[in-house]
Amino acid sequence: MLKIENLHVEVDGKEILKGLDLEIGAGEMHAIMGPNGSGKSTLGYTLAGRDGYEITEGRILFEGQDLAALAPEERAAAGLFLALQYPVEIPGVNNAYFLRAALNAQRKARGEEEVDSMAFLKAVREQLKALKMDEALLKRAVNEGFSGGEKKRNEIVQMAVLQPKLAVLDETDSGLDIDALKLVAEGVNRLRDEQRSFVVITHYQRLLGYLEPDHVHVLSDGRIVESGDRSLAERLEREGYAFLDDEPAEAAGA
Amino acid sequence: MSALLERLAPAAELPRDGFTELRSQAQKVLMQHGFPHRKTENWKYTPLTLIEQRAFAGSLDVGTPPAPPALPFDCAVVHMHNGEIDPSATRLPRGASLTGLVADDVDVDALVADGPNDAFAWLNLARLGQGWKLVVDEAVKRPIVVVSTVDADFEGAVHPRLHVELAPDSALTLVAVQTGGGAGLHNAVLDIRMSERSTLLHAIDRSGGDTAWIEHATVRVAAGADYRAFISDAGGALTRQDLRVSLDAPNARGAIHGVATLEGRALVDYHTAIEHHVGPSESKERFRILADDRATGVFNGRILIVPGADDSHSEMNTGNLLLSENARINTKPELEIHAEEVTASHGATIGQLDDDARFYLRSRGLSEREATALLKYGFAAAVFDDLEPGPLADWLLERLKSRA
Ligand SMILES: Nc1ncnc2c1ncn2[C@@H]1O[C@H](COP(=O)(O)OP(=O)(O)OP(=O)(O)O)[C@@H](O)[C@H]1O
Ligand SMILES: [Mg+2]
Repeated sequence: MLKIENLHVEVDGKEILKGLDLEIGAGEMHAIMGPNGSGKSTLGYTLAGRDGYEITEGRILFEGQDLAALAPEERAAAGLFLALQYPVEIPGVNNAYFLRAALNAQRKARGEEEVDSMAFLKAVREQLKALKMDEALLKRAVNEGFSGGEKKRNEIVQMAVLQPKLAVLDETDSGLDIDALKLVAEGVNRLRDEQRSFVVITHYQRLLGYLEPDHVHVLSDGRIVESGDRSLAERLEREGYAFLDDEPAEAAGA
Repeated sequence: MSALLERLAPAAELPRDGFTELRSQAQKVLMQHGFPHRKTENWKYTPLTLIEQRAFAGSLDVGTPPAPPALPFDCAVVHMHNGEIDPSATRLPRGASLTGLVADDVDVDALVADGPNDAFAWLNLARLGQGWKLVVDEAVKRPIVVVSTVDADFEGAVHPRLHVELAPDSALTLVAVQTGGGAGLHNAVLDIRMSERSTLLHAIDRSGGDTAWIEHATVRVAAGADYRAFISDAGGALTRQDLRVSLDAPNARGAIHGVATLEGRALVDYHTAIEHHVGPSESKERFRILADDRATGVFNGRILIVPGADDSHSEMNTGNLLLSENARINTKPELEIHAEEVTASHGATIGQLDDDARFYLRSRGLSEREATALLKYGFAAAVFDDLEPGPLADWLLERLKSRA
């Protein structure tokens, strides 16, 4: 599904990712942990194709296709989704309208028909209900005045409606209360199947306890320095990142 | 400039009628103060050279006007074509009536000559031909839409005048749909008088075309009355709107929500004033300009709270989007507060489209063009947040979407 090879990324002339390797198979879930400022969000933005994230070396293959050639909207249509660490407020743009426009734009790019608006609304309402979100949020401007937790849940609603092949969730758990965290985890788990893959960026073991990822990686200073199974997350939770300094860094793919 | 005066307001020539006296009074004021020139502060961004260059020769052939554009909501339409209304084609809801203006309707003594600032309003009076008075006696549900159009080859100068009078406790939704055409001058005056506790929702949707579109509007708001304007303007060769809202008695309220979406070489110049003459009174103003290509947008918003108008509250917010290097936006809020215990605030921002927001939309699948259009629309539409949902709001927003 996704193959990242020796990825070097510069932002404003500063190298942030310094030779990152990662491979994710169809249906797999990988968690990425790592200290603040290590480059986790940079990886997400680079995958999504944000301007200013310059690949200076290496490449990213998504279903065999080099992502560098694709605009953000083309990546979205190809099935890539990034839930932002800080979802953006869009004043004046109705949430439901935006979501339908996004879905239709993707479908059009794939040569599919537009969604039926009744069916669309029904699907969105179901997602809102599952995430215990107020339906009134549909009529409000995108993320404007949403609480921190509502913004994060809104990202999951978008993901569920857009049905990506690969979803990158950047700290979707931070800022959620304990119940909301569980709802979000359930929302993610509902979408899991043998074809759909996930990259879950998080600082906490709690979310991973619900999601049970197949692999856990530690990103530090722009590289994957440690990879393992779920027990790695538990160890990090107990010991912090300090032990990483004591061990030689291992280049790690999955 | 006197050449312009000669061309636009030649002494005499109009037939003698009930307005003759008024016209000559106005003509005198106009001669004395003249038209605005480059140094007239209030007009410095409006390129009057464009008007000076025009001949305004074409005589107006008032044939059968074309049908006005259809509107997607239930309403009564008054069609003004080339500055004239055909009353026989007009059907108003119960409680509203449209009659010809008579000289007594114009309180010329109340019009103070403010140097050359109001020259076009005086010109309107000096050349007054057809004037109309819309009287509203009760709460009228169906919106009344005044559709103003001019011919595509219209090159003359017309000076229509509309007075609107709202009786105590009456209510009206008045929508002005204005579409310009040929390179003439459409120089209108709108005079609104609101009695006690009346309410007026005043929507304006305008695109001026090649026509120099000038409107001078005055709204007098009595005790407990409530005036709200919702304006969407795409500008044109030259579009100038003066809108003065005078809160004359306790508990009067006035609000102006406006947005100008400009592209090409469009120009819009809004000069608004909200005057608090007594307290308690309340006003609110929100204005946004989006300027692309080589367009120019001007907004000058004056809030005046006179001495003694205590317990008056006013809030103004302006925001602009500069979408091209060659576009220009000039925004100037002017707060003049002379009373005690008032709150008045203003915020003004000029910005470009937000890169974070654009990336967010694109990451969800919208093309760069779609994302930009949606962000422009969102920025513009926020001005109409205070408009209650319904067919009128839907229509205004749909129009805005087509312009974003
Ligand atoms: N525009 C920029 N110019 C220079 N440095 C930048 C820029 N954007 C990000 N960085 C730096 O890149 C590094 C990685 O940032 P990133 O947001 O990817 O970290 P992160 O691992 O997601 O951290 P956190 O856990 O706090 O979310 C940080 O040191 C950050 O300051
Ligand atoms: Mg981050």
